[in-house]
Amino acid sequence: MQENDNKIYENEIIMPVMKRAVSFLDDEMGIKVVSKNLEVVSPKKIELKKNTAMIGTGGSIQVLATMGYDDSLLDELVSVFLEGEEPDEDELDEIRESVSCEVINTIVGNALVNPVDDTALSITPPILIYEAKSLFKHKNSRISTVTIKTEFGDMLLTIVGPKQLFANELNFKEL
Amino acid sequence: MLNVLVVDDSLIIRKNISKYINNLGHKVVGESKTGALAVEDCKKLKPDLITMDITMPDMDGITAVKKVREFDKDVDIIMVTSHGQEEMVVSSLKAGAKGYILKPVNEEKLAKAIASLNGQEGSDSEEDELLED
Repeated sequence: MQENDNKIYENEIIMPVMKRAVSFLDDEMGIKVVSKNLEVVSPKKIELKKNTAMIGTGGSIQVLATMGYDDSLLDELVSVFLEGEEPDEDELDEIRESVSCEVINTIVGNALVNPVDDTALSITPPILIYEAKSLFKHKNSRISTVTIKTEFGDMLLTIVGPKQLFANELNFKEL
Repeated sequence: MLNVLVVDDSLIIRKNISKYINNLGHKVVGESKTGALAVEDCKKLKPDLITMDITMPDMDGITAVKKVREFDKDVDIIMVTSHGQEEMVVSSLKAGAKGYILKPVNEEKLAKAIASLNGQEGSDSEEDELLED
């Protein structure tokens, strides 16, 4: 991928999403972010967390964003969303899934501004990745990731692209 | 008291908005998970107000607003969405929505948006400015 694309990925996509994730957790969820220096890295391989939701962007920038949560962090997010109420036991799994998806939807939706042109970027409805997955960087793909550490556990934010190289569930397509 | 249809593909959002609507003294007459179901539910339930997400499977919220407006010019529609981009706000309002709330949603934001439908205190003229541009 060209250098300009790399800069777009890091500066214009992952950095705004990361900043919004931090403000969302700190200011709106009351979950303290404890990592002082957030470093964006571009590994050749990444292990996604068990609780991972994914969203895609459409328009002139097409990438996939994933957000994974440690169990303890997701438990706290669920508690905050429920505002002190106790969920029905038979609804709890669905509520956990719903919160996983809603957090990435809110953060990415709020953060997204098109760095290429003035057209709106769309986002897809979020989906859950049910099997903890390893992502490998292929020749033409780009993975950028940052771990946001909170008092309740970690959030793993990953931007993967271009979207066209991946099928559902982030399986790499042979083109 | 308003009869409200809550539309969002997220269970937790439907639950929370329904709770806020009840707390504000209104009645939730239905919850729809997709835009297509929202259009059908609107025909059946004839709500006074719809809270509408944008990003949904099957049919997005802006398309659903247009379809509702084909048969109901009067129902108030407030978009409740994570999309903060101006183009999305303008598209929603041009489709026929009358208000816009940026997620994360809370009871205060919803109360202000409902109040603004009647031009009451807390109304926001930002939507009007966007439409004039």
